[in-house]
Amino acid sequence: MKFPKLSAPTLLLLPAIIVLAAVIVLPLLFSLYSSFTPFRLTKPETIWILIGFRNYMSALTSLEFWTAFGRTVLLLTIALNAEMFLGLGLAMLVNKATRGQRLLRTLMMFPMMFSPVLVGFQFKFLFNDNIGFVNNVLQSLGITTSAIPWLIDGNLALFSIIVAEIWSSTSVFAILILAGLLAMPQEPVEAARVDGCTPWQTFRYVTWPYLMPFAMIAMTIRSLDVARAYDIVKIMTDGGPAKRTELLWTLVGRTAYSDARMGMANAMAYISILLSILFTVYFFRKLAAARQQIGAEW
Amino acid sequence: MDQNNAHRLKRRGLKVLHLVGLFLAMLVICLPGLWIVLNSLRPTVEIMAKPPVWIPQDISLDAYRSMFGGAGQGGIPVWEYFRNSLIISITSTVIALIIGMAGGYAFARYKFKGKSAVFLGFMLTRAVPGIALSLPLFMIFARLGIIDTHFSMILIYVALNVPFTIWLIDGFFRQVPKDLAEAAQIDGCTRWQAFWQVEFPLAGPGIASAGIFAFLTSWNEYALASQITRSVNSKTLPVGLLDYTSEFTIDWRGMCALAVVMIVPALTLTFIIQKHLVSGLTFGAVKG
Repeated sequence: MKFPKLSAPTLLLLPAIIVLAAVIVLPLLFSLYSSFTPFRLTKPETIWILIGFRNYMSALTSLEFWTAFGRTVLLLTIALNAEMFLGLGLAMLVNKATRGQRLLRTLMMFPMMFSPVLVGFQFKFLFNDNIGFVNNVLQSLGITTSAIPWLIDGNLALFSIIVAEIWSSTSVFAILILAGLLAMPQEPVEAARVDGCTPWQTFRYVTWPYLMPFAMIAMTIRSLDVARAYDIVKIMTDGGPAKRTELLWTLVGRTAYSDARMGMANAMAYISILLSILFTVYFFRKLAAARQQIGAEW
Repeated sequence: MDQNNAHRLKRRGLKVLHLVGLFLAMLVICLPGLWIVLNSLRPTVEIMAKPPVWIPQDISLDAYRSMFGGAGQGGIPVWEYFRNSLIISITSTVIALIIGMAGGYAFARYKFKGKSAVFLGFMLTRAVPGIALSLPLFMIFARLGIIDTHFSMILIYVALNVPFTIWLIDGFFRQVPKDLAEAAQIDGCTRWQAFWQVEFPLAGPGIASAGIFAFLTSWNEYALASQITRSVNSKTLPVGLLDYTSEFTIDWRGMCALAVVMIVPALTLTFIIQKHLVSGLTFGAVKG
């Protein structure tokens, strides 16, 4: 052994730690520092001026920031709940299928392979007011005579983005919940049925607790990259029309690269990083709790 | 008898409902992709037609031909983007796998202090939004002069992929019984030999799928690539796709064709790993 002081696991983890420290932790410390400066890309010397919490203060008191913040939370709440619910439904539908389950499972994975940029592009195309599939169908069926401005009206644009987001991520939930359904022992379900439970009760008190850890794994994975909504929004509306679909992440990008106000953008970015981390830790905890419950019951 | 009939009717009704639901769900999942493929094969006139043309009249591969022929559609160098994407994704995947294998093995086989804290710490680095990470990286890389190079993108993607690779590989190593390696060691293997000759082959398919997953992450990433890559030197396909929108008139057919080019490798690879991916992610679910 060349390094007698380092134990085997430390040695094995060292490369990972070095890479993560160099590419993620150190840059983040740097951006933490620069969030206390009025740094602008156009004026490099401003990096050395410290202005305390002024960036944070002006971010936290600006209406623009809070609107984007609120919209991000709204989008995530709707999208994640819908994804969980639809994913559960889809998993149950596929699980019930007697024939062609393999094919169904493969089809179900389809949206997972689409990169967020592709999802954004695809829905930009589908929701295009002039040549989009959605309007074409609606008009051909005679449901509406005029073109609906899906991506031009602020509220409809947010709705379209949520649809794209749900389409792309429901399958993560569906696949993992289906894995849970397939791994589930059948005896408790049968016992519950013999004991006179209604189908709803069986689901609520027997199946669902068992599926919990699987749903939580899906949630944890999703919470690790909720920010992929940035790509979808960027390509579908780029925060428009008139900033009606601006999310926290697009706001950060705009402040940093279009306005070149790096210090300010870093302050905002830090708030969004903290948000993501809280989110991940929360679901990680829930995952651990759900595991323990299962361990106790089975 | 009546009750019997009613029951049978109800069962049949439920079955039909189930099939209809399943059909609708699959339609929603598949339709957008099929629509893109279809439109990459149609001439622009037909895409723009009012009232819409539902039954394609004129199918051709022109979009693909012009995309890969010469300078490409509208001067967009698709070949270069494709090459950049491949180089960056493959190199970063290989490096991430090596690092991830060491890390995953450590988590699966050793007990050490603060294990779960370290694990959570690794995961949290993944939770940092790409766009937020791009700010300091942009500043630092610009200073070091490595912006718009393959090297910078590879470095970033290795770091992005390591946490998740460790999660997956940890799961796969834990599925390999510990006794096997111990038996090999008793038979005179060193730990190093036991790893390569017993544990590695058994966890092999899982590790391969972790690799494919890492490849896909790099292949699909946009937020960071859009800021760190500037030119044809290192631009990847997702960034290249946006080249089409920056023009005044969107070339829908060209974009559809490029989208198909992007999705085909991803599609193929995902089909290969689907089984292993799910088992790797959920292995810890029940057994902790």
